Amino acid sequence: MSESITLGKSEVRKDAWEKVTGAAEYVADIKLDDVLYGAVARSSVHHGRILSIDATAAQASPGVVRVLTAADIPGEHCFGGLVPDQPALAGDLVRHYGEPLAIVIATSKAAARKAAGLVKADVEPIAPLLDPVTALGTDVSKLHEVGNLISRYEIKEGDIEEGFAEADVILEETFSVPLVSPAYLETENSLACWNADGTLTVWVSSQHPFTDQLEIAATLGMPPEKVQVKSAVIGGAFGGKEDASLAILTALAAWAVKGTVRLVNTRQESFWAHPKRHPVQFQFKLGAKKDGTFMALKAVAHMDTGAFASLGPAVGVIVTETLGGSYRIPNVDLETYVAYTNAPLAGAVRGFGSPQSHFAIESMVDMLAAKLGLDPIEVRRKNILCEGDKMFTGVVVNNTANSLPVSLDRAQEACRKFAAIPPLPGKVAGVGMALVMQSMGLGAKVPDDSTQRLEWKPDGSLLVHLGAPDMGQGLAMAAEQIAAEAMELPYELVNTVGLDTSSSPNGNVSCASRMTYMVGNTMVEAAQKLKAQMLEQAARLLNRPQESLSYSNGHVVTAEGEKIAVKEVISRAADDGIILQSESTFSFPYPEATTPQHLPIGMPHVLFCFGAQAARVEVDPELGTVVVTHLTAIHDVGRVISKVGVEGQIEGGAAMGLGYALYESMDLKEDGRWVDSFTEYLIPTSKDVPTYHENIILEIPEESGPFGAKGIGEVTVPPTAPAIANAIYNAIGVRVKSLPITPEKLVKV
Amino acid sequence: MNSIQVSFEVNGRPVTVDSLPNRTLLDVLREDLGLTGVKDACGGEGECGACTVIMDGKSVNSCMVFIGQVEGCAIETIEGLAKDGELHPLQRAFAETGAVQCGYCTPGAIMAAKALLQENPHPSDEEIREGLSGNLCRCTGYVKMIEAVRCAAEEMSHV
Repeated sequence: MSESITLGKSEVRKDAWEKVTGAAEYVADIKLDDVLYGAVARSSVHHGRILSIDATAAQASPGVVRVLTAADIPGEHCFGGLVPDQPALAGDLVRHYGEPLAIVIATSKAAARKAAGLVKADVEPIAPLLDPVTALGTDVSKLHEVGNLISRYEIKEGDIEEGFAEADVILEETFSVPLVSPAYLETENSLACWNADGTLTVWVSSQHPFTDQLEIAATLGMPPEKVQVKSAVIGGAFGGKEDASLAILTALAAWAVKGTVRLVNTRQESFWAHPKRHPVQFQFKLGAKKDGTFMALKAVAHMDTGAFASLGPAVGVIVTETLGGSYRIPNVDLETYVAYTNAPLAGAVRGFGSPQSHFAIESMVDMLAAKLGLDPIEVRRKNILCEGDKMFTGVVVNNTANSLPVSLDRAQEACRKFAAIPPLPGKVAGVGMALVMQSMGLGAKVPDDSTQRLEWKPDGSLLVHLGAPDMGQGLAMAAEQIAAEAMELPYELVNTVGLDTSSSPNGNVSCASRMTYMVGNTMVEAAQKLKAQMLEQAARLLNRPQESLSYSNGHVVTAEGEKIAVKEVISRAADDGIILQSESTFSFPYPEATTPQHLPIGMPHVLFCFGAQAARVEVDPELGTVVVTHLTAIHDVGRVISKVGVEGQIEGGAAMGLGYALYESMDLKEDGRWVDSFTEYLIPTSKDVPTYHENIILEIPEESGPFGAKGIGEVTVPPTAPAIANAIYNAIGVRVKSLPITPEKLVKV
Repeated sequence: MNSIQVSFEVNGRPVTVDSLPNRTLLDVLREDLGLTGVKDACGGEGECGACTVIMDGKSVNSCMVFIGQVEGCAIETIEGLAKDGELHPLQRAFAETGAVQCGYCTPGAIMAAKALLQENPHPSDEEIREGLSGNLCRCTGYVKMIEAVRCAAEEMSHV
């Protein structure tokens, strides 16, 4: 392989300068004239029938311009990524605590907030349903017309009874994982401006501005082309910002007052009313031979998607597909139920169902190994998927499965190294590991196209018109590095322009560990087209046959070896009114011949990322406190685009997994309110993450990926919690089957 | 409620503001002085550190400081850190080590680190962790933030 220009290097992201100086403009920082402030009046009950909403006092409050309720919505009242079941403002039914009932628009933030507290909702309470199993029982109230079961998935392969009959040992266990928040630091917020020409401009902090545009247009009964959505700098998203609700409310407010309105959620509102990671209850039954060979898996998952579907049905797909982890299990019987309840809505969050299932299956594997008296790593080695294996979805796994045995070896080495470290006085140390499989893409039969544009500027620099937002993870940097490599230009010459639905191509939603892959593929193709255009223009301007010219490192090279800088060609073409630009669309591949077609929409996923994490913990056996001292994360990315970017995804993902393991749970408190602040909802701090963190990055090329690259965003989260749970068991012999693993669960009082 | 007049210094420049006394330094910096590099992530509860500024040499959560408390004080925000277009070593280190992802916690974390290095120019890793422990970050897992502070401390000790 020849020396790369930028691939695999640690470039400095282009937005770093504005971010370290405070100049970066997040939506709440955008300064416009005559801005009005919105505040949302929200439900203080979990479930109830709305008899009336009295806005008289709020309307009369000083500074208030307008109060809006559902009756003021001119178009569609409900929206939703998969199912339009979520009212922008509650109509006749309140389905969760904190649901928006009205928006107050006022001349100051304080006036709006004060008046929002004066909106009086007369709500007849209904007993709330807060458990996804209970919600599916008989004699319970229906939260939506379709009932409380929104999705059910079932996969059966082989002969489950025969499989258990052949097993020497059978383990049956239950697991549960809590409701957790993506907890991006920038809460949901939006700014909308009604323009004199009857159009609307809306700034969003969103993973999918093009969907926001459609949802806003539908709510307002406007043609989409009259709604311009612009992406500001995004302060983290992690899946939670695949949700248009706040942009819709802000746009509605601006439309109603024919002015400019800003809406910024408080942290409490973010907890109450925006997508969370699904809580799941699992029942597992795993059968194996004496030597550890898996024979049969029966698993049932009950997922709580809360008041609205959000992306719950799609999360259910991945919960189901990852119930068996990274293993070959010949006989399976898997069932997943996605239920509506009166909890805050759950939807997309980094990992998208996989962290939930992995906690269960990766704990199961260690428990089974213990029962058999075998080394849990050897049990894994016996059962891991290999290239060419048929998974229970019918998908034949490709060569990327070759990263599994390597991941296992490296995790084993890390475990051995960690096991030799003595604990601090009074502490007990333990080491554990877990494997991970995370799919890429939205799943079969879900249209998934991403379009980008590359433009060559007259100064010779390249501009990426990125059609999907960089939510902070570094998508723009990845696109620029791939474009630079493909165009044989230095990284410094490639820049990215901000997303604007009125001028950017549609790159689709930033999610599903597929952005480097999709955007990268468009960069590679757009670069080829642009080089061809360059030669065409050079041939025209130089009056030479195109075949006599070639392109190399920012120059057109003639047959005689003369080099002409591209900017000369670009600027001369520009004088003739010709802009050198090219567009490319990449469709996530689900080849019909190799993609099983018998499953429901969104199933199966066909490309995967594998890896492993090993953790060392020190437990205080008296207090039950746990410190994760060491963590080694092994992940295959196909090909590193940005080294620092990949490391950052691993380090951040593992920290999120650590919070899932030990701290985070959005509980319902005794006073009937949800945990809704960082005072009670603890995310890891700099003192909680391991003092030793090691990244081992594998590069087994994904042949359909740009330069062999695939995803890394999500796969880093799921293995952390089971690795920590297994380490804790190995330290003190306590097996905790519900997250988070709090001291109370480790110390018998 | 009557407004109060408060005079203090921001990034070396004297300012006087008229404000209701129930407003915080964070509110005034963002809304009255346009210093939007100062962020709010926890809703003014002093939990996240995104609004960290330096007040008379000490790092504070500006959401926890009523504007009246600022009378006569010297406030430093992220906007005052770069001099003549030249980034402060901490800013450069955060950018170059990859300590910046979404960037929302970055200004607060840099200001907390600056206060730390003023007090302790040669912190151990443990002391850096302690110094950043009031600044939540959801993107980086802190690994590169700690590295950035270590690099900046080293660079500053050579000056």
